[in-house]
Amino acid sequence: MTFADWAKKSDSDMVFKRFNVIIEGPAIKPEEDPDVKRVLPKEEPFKSLAMNVIFGDMKAVDATKTALEKVPPLDVIEKGLAKGMDAVSALYAKGAYFLPDIMLSADAMTAAIGVAEQKLGKAREKKGTVVSFVAEGDPHDIGKNLVVMFLKANGFETVDLGRDVPNQDVIAAVKKHKPVMLTGTALMTTTMTAFPKVAEMLKQQGLTVPVFGCGGGAVKRDFVESFDMGVYGVKAFHAPKLAEATLAGKSYKDLRKEYPKIVGEFVTEYADRM
Amino acid sequence: MGVRRYTRMAYKDPDEMVFGHAKFPVQEHWGVQFGAGYVVPEVKVAPEAGTERSKETLVKEMASIAEQAAARAVDIGLPAFMLEQEHVFQQTFHPDWGYACTAAQAEVLKKYYDEYGVKAALRQTVGDLRIEEKGGLRGSDYDNKIAETIEECCKAGASDIAAETMGGKAVLDYGVMRGDIRAILFGIGYLGSIDMEYFWKRAVDICSKYDARPAGDTNCSGANTCMYVAGGLLGKDMSHTAAALARAISAARSLVAVECGATGPLKDCGYENTIIKAITGVPICQEGKNAVCAHADLMGNLTCQVVDCWSNESVFHREEMGGPTPAVWLQATGYEAALMNTAIQTGNAKTLRDLYTFTDMYRDPQGTLLAYPNAYRVGKAITEYGKDIYLRARAAALEASKIITEAYEAKLLQLTRFELDTLRKYTSILEGLPMEADVFVDQCMREYPRKIPTFDPKSYGL
Repeated sequence: MTFADWAKKSDSDMVFKRFNVIIEGPAIKPEEDPDVKRVLPKEEPFKSLAMNVIFGDMKAVDATKTALEKVPPLDVIEKGLAKGMDAVSALYAKGAYFLPDIMLSADAMTAAIGVAEQKLGKAREKKGTVVSFVAEGDPHDIGKNLVVMFLKANGFETVDLGRDVPNQDVIAAVKKHKPVMLTGTALMTTTMTAFPKVAEMLKQQGLTVPVFGCGGGAVKRDFVESFDMGVYGVKAFHAPKLAEATLAGKSYKDLRKEYPKIVGEFVTEYADRM
Repeated sequence: MGVRRYTRMAYKDPDEMVFGHAKFPVQEHWGVQFGAGYVVPEVKVAPEAGTERSKETLVKEMASIAEQAAARAVDIGLPAFMLEQEHVFQQTFHPDWGYACTAAQAEVLKKYYDEYGVKAALRQTVGDLRIEEKGGLRGSDYDNKIAETIEECCKAGASDIAAETMGGKAVLDYGVMRGDIRAILFGIGYLGSIDMEYFWKRAVDICSKYDARPAGDTNCSGANTCMYVAGGLLGKDMSHTAAALARAISAARSLVAVECGATGPLKDCGYENTIIKAITGVPICQEGKNAVCAHADLMGNLTCQVVDCWSNESVFHREEMGGPTPAVWLQATGYEAALMNTAIQTGNAKTLRDLYTFTDMYRDPQGTLLAYPNAYRVGKAITEYGKDIYLRARAAALEASKIITEAYEAKLLQLTRFELDTLRKYTSILEGLPMEADVFVDQCMREYPRKIPTFDPKSYGL
């Protein structure tokens, strides 16, 4: 009997179910998605600007140049381009958009914002600064790169220290940039030990950050909550929401208690705090 | 030693492949054989956080892990096992630490071998500390330390040496984040292969001076990153069909270790190992359902299909209700290996093999690709362009695409719209790529160095 014979004779539902296929609804245009409709501007040129970002279309650049002839740069950014990114975030959260979609949208938005900032004569004010690093001795950085990307796409200034970052370099960056949040990632149990050391070094030098978000392969919540300022970050795309909650006045203790509420979804790792 | 490119398959037919058997078994000291008619269980444990603070504390930790595993092996009657230690930064960066930690574990295993006759192998997996954008992949301080530590581990009694090298990662990561299959092919298939040759020619040479086997390398930094980013069925960061194509490409890359003289058993987290076994006949370690302490995958049974050494991948060193984790998880892999060995002894190996495979063959496209008859096809595609590291990687991806498409069209494998769209789009891009490696490389070099600041072409001789 071949595998094809077995497949004909057996009921695969008794062995596995491809839930991703089962729950997939009919194809829907992004602009017709109810969550997108909620954030999508109704007036032009804002709607077209947002749509270009949603589709990751570099036409966003020319559309921005045209819009700037009649509309102030900050409005082009906040009422048009940024709304597109809000829509992209909504699509990603529900699994309709994937990581490469976000990257393309972020690229289109960044290029278009660059044009608007040229007209403005300066960089637009970002929501805040976040410093990100990968722990000393650890070369794995895709998690950190994702965190940085999501923060940038959501209007934060990011200082990316790279990977295998000595603890004193982290401290120096915090001193220089005074971030609203510090993020650290590590893949291994023996590199994540940098995080409590960084927290301790910050305290010794009289420095604090509102939140020190930590995550990565071996990192677990109880470890991160064992030191001050530590908040265990589960997914990279939670980072902007944590940063925004901090800007809104939440402390790191609040973030620990209210994590699922702040990120807006059930999180297994915080199941006891739902 | 030169590089021997594979242009022919070791097996004539995929049905020849089965767990516990390899065309070219490997013998290691303290009596263990891989692929010689039985499956060996493996355990791997990450040292407790903080034990790396000094050489003394780390050595004690290593000895403790070995003792706990060996004691349980005897307690439950395991005939043989492998203990693998993946190095923390300090173990590889300080060659004397690498020596001392290895020696401490070797002493324990030898003690149990001498006293009870339990066969044991000690794998030391050195850390690839190299950072492409800080000093490059060749000749840096980190690079030199790796070579020194390999030698120290061999001297100290390691049975074999493995690695998870990072060549091509900067470009691969870019490809993952942007859904750029050309970058994935360039990063894993081309750059990864170049770096593998650099690393493994040296490693094989070092091991040849000692009674330690150069075992092999996995594309953990590439294809496993893709698998991890793709996640479970509800994951939204990478299409699983894209992850499957990356896996096929990774086989062409990981094969290079064997072409440089690595003997296997190939390292556990190389899900691409089935493809390489089909090409080379070397024994392989694998992981799946007994590695859930480390991560989730969608083919936990399938990976048993043609394994020679069955692993738990990694686990925190701590106490469970059933005892310390080195003991608990060796027991888990030990019982699975015992089942496979019972199947071998009673003439039921192929039936069990096929049950393992069929359980997950259509659970996910990554499993579809790695089911041994399909893995064999990918291996064949690689050997058809065996002498060209670019063309064979491209061929692997195209064959993977064909396999998944056939399964989908036969209604054996269901795909989401995203998975199908990605598969079709990436296949079209791959088909449109040039048939000349230098033209492909030229195209990539016009784009990726300026877009990827952490990519160092000099690290690859470009």
